[in-house]
Amino acid sequence: MKANSELESLRNWKGILLRHETVLLMVLVLEWFYFNSVGRRFGTLDNTYDIVRHSVEIGLLALVMTPIILTGGIDLSVGSLLGLCAILFGKLWRDAGMPPWAAGICTLGIGAAAGGLNALLITWLRLPPLIVTLGTYSLFRGLAEAITHGVDTFTNFPASFLFLGQERWLGIPAQASVFLIVAVAVWLLVHRTTFGRSFRAIGYSSEGARYAGMPVERRMALVYVLAGLVASVAAIIYTARLGQAKADAGTGYELFAITAVVLGGTSIFGGAGSVHGTLLGVAAIAVLNNGLVHARQPREAAGMLTGALLLLALSASAAPKLLPALRAWRHSCATKSEPAKVT
Amino acid sequence: MKKTIRLFLAIAVVVSGCGKSPSPSSPSDGGSAGAGKKLTIALMPKSKGNAYFISCKQGADEAAKALGVELLFDGPTDPDPAKQNEIIENWITLGVDAIAAACENKEGISTALRKAKQKGIKVLTYDSDAAPDAREFFVNQATPEGIGNTLMDEAGRLTGGEGEFAVITASLTAANMNEWRKHIEARLASKYPKMKLMATKPCDDLKDKAQSEATALLSAYPNLKLIMAICSPAVPGAAEAVKQAGKTGTVKVIGLGLPNENKKYVKEGVTQSVILWKTVDLGYLTVHATAALARGELKSGATTYAAGRLGKMEIKGDSILLGSPFVFNRENIDQFDF
Repeated sequence: MKANSELESLRNWKGILLRHETVLLMVLVLEWFYFNSVGRRFGTLDNTYDIVRHSVEIGLLALVMTPIILTGGIDLSVGSLLGLCAILFGKLWRDAGMPPWAAGICTLGIGAAAGGLNALLITWLRLPPLIVTLGTYSLFRGLAEAITHGVDTFTNFPASFLFLGQERWLGIPAQASVFLIVAVAVWLLVHRTTFGRSFRAIGYSSEGARYAGMPVERRMALVYVLAGLVASVAAIIYTARLGQAKADAGTGYELFAITAVVLGGTSIFGGAGSVHGTLLGVAAIAVLNNGLVHARQPREAAGMLTGALLLLALSASAAPKLLPALRAWRHSCATKSEPAKVT
Repeated sequence: MKKTIRLFLAIAVVVSGCGKSPSPSSPSDGGSAGAGKKLTIALMPKSKGNAYFISCKQGADEAAKALGVELLFDGPTDPDPAKQNEIIENWITLGVDAIAAACENKEGISTALRKAKQKGIKVLTYDSDAAPDAREFFVNQATPEGIGNTLMDEAGRLTGGEGEFAVITASLTAANMNEWRKHIEARLASKYPKMKLMATKPCDDLKDKAQSEATALLSAYPNLKLIMAICSPAVPGAAEAVKQAGKTGTVKVIGLGLPNENKKYVKEGVTQSVILWKTVDLGYLTVHATAALARGELKSGATTYAAGRLGKMEIKGDSILLGSPFVFNRENIDQFDF
């Protein structure tokens, strides 16, 4: 039924115009033109690359948060896991003497295993994702702090490793290529495979999906392991960008990622949403954050405006659905108030 | 499906179009400022809402106005350690002439500051330093020697140079505080032979713990004349203990801390003096020195530097010294709000 109505709206230009993604794209374009008119360096290629480099880590987390929220779940632990992976990467490189590439591969394994812990608790013990990941949110950050005693900082990485976070490769920021690969992979997974459809089905009704013969547990496990894996990728990029790994890396990133996903039009209850919506959400927030600096506006405005943007974009795309109800309400008001006017 | 493809195309057009078109014009307004152009100085606090840095900004604004430079003031508003780097990178793109930063993460921020230096932007740090190769000068608000001597001299003045006293520190391993204690003890040995340091207790940087440690000290050493608290939560903590023990005035309290946290006790006469530097002057000196650096008036190797209303400042190596700490007491504490 949902597919049918989507097909209908596809034929209908009005439907396309009122789609959440289109609204968000227009917001993004407006942001761009506004900041380009007030900041003399905003539109430069250098600045575009600044925006990209500053949003890759949160962008990666938002990408893998999308299928999780599609299944009706949530992962609050990704920011903490980023911190844990960053310092473990540093430890493997500095203390275990591994070359960065080997430490990186081990870190990916650790990330996937940590995601596996979330997956196990959620699917095996059937605990709510919110509770499980709230627990691992504290656990991972706590581990990172315990391992480093909160003060040990890993630094002086070789230039060949810092390249990943600070230099350009084929003309674009090196980390952007990683982001593109992950973005395409997640987009294909969610929009072009039966996995993607099963995520939505689980989000609508996990019981229904189970009765339809879907391996619900396995599919749910997949999205949490994927989140852990990509969080470790983000940790490596973060370390390369800052040239430092410390236990507080990625503090609060989980909420930025969730904000981008929800701004991108994915329903927090699961079942509906898109990866390209998430990408637009990430871009809208990143451009806003960067543009405010170029417009010489105070940074604290960014949080306020992100909140306003979220509420506005969601209201704008919810408004058309309210129109019939609004019309009916006005109609009933008009009929009620008429006698009053006569007397 | 077509719809999504169209959407991606649209994004691609917007991104590539906007990314490329304005860039040819950028070199024309690039580079550092010439003689006629107004200097732009970017000043970064460790965190933006912090009253300490807000009062630094007060002095910074004053210097910027006096020197006719444009001042950008921005810093992190959330605990994300990557934020300082992002703001610095934004400033590099923005094309500011000079950057002065108080560093939260020494190594992390150094990466971004080195990049700024490479682009020809003058870089200076204040309050807390970056790696030495990432900046040209560090505006040092207080040397360990200055802090140690001022604390001990104040203790000597209040006790008349004789009697028992005790120290409350954050932890017995904190490197900066051990450095201060070394200078306190050296000053004690050389100038105040009749004073006696009875005990040094750690409070884990907690006000409650400082209060209970102070209470224990008061009962263990009934002849105690003064408590010296060298970490900021310990100053109000010790004051509360002295007040509750009914020893206001007989046991004096001094320490290193913020005026606002201690105003109440200073006015009640429990705490005699709070020692810190004038943050307004720190901000003033930082912006003044940054502007001088950008204009080529301040070069590495200089040993003194005339900083406007502050007069002549001493430069030790690559540290510009703010001078000896300031003593806040009952007479002057109301003039300060941080």
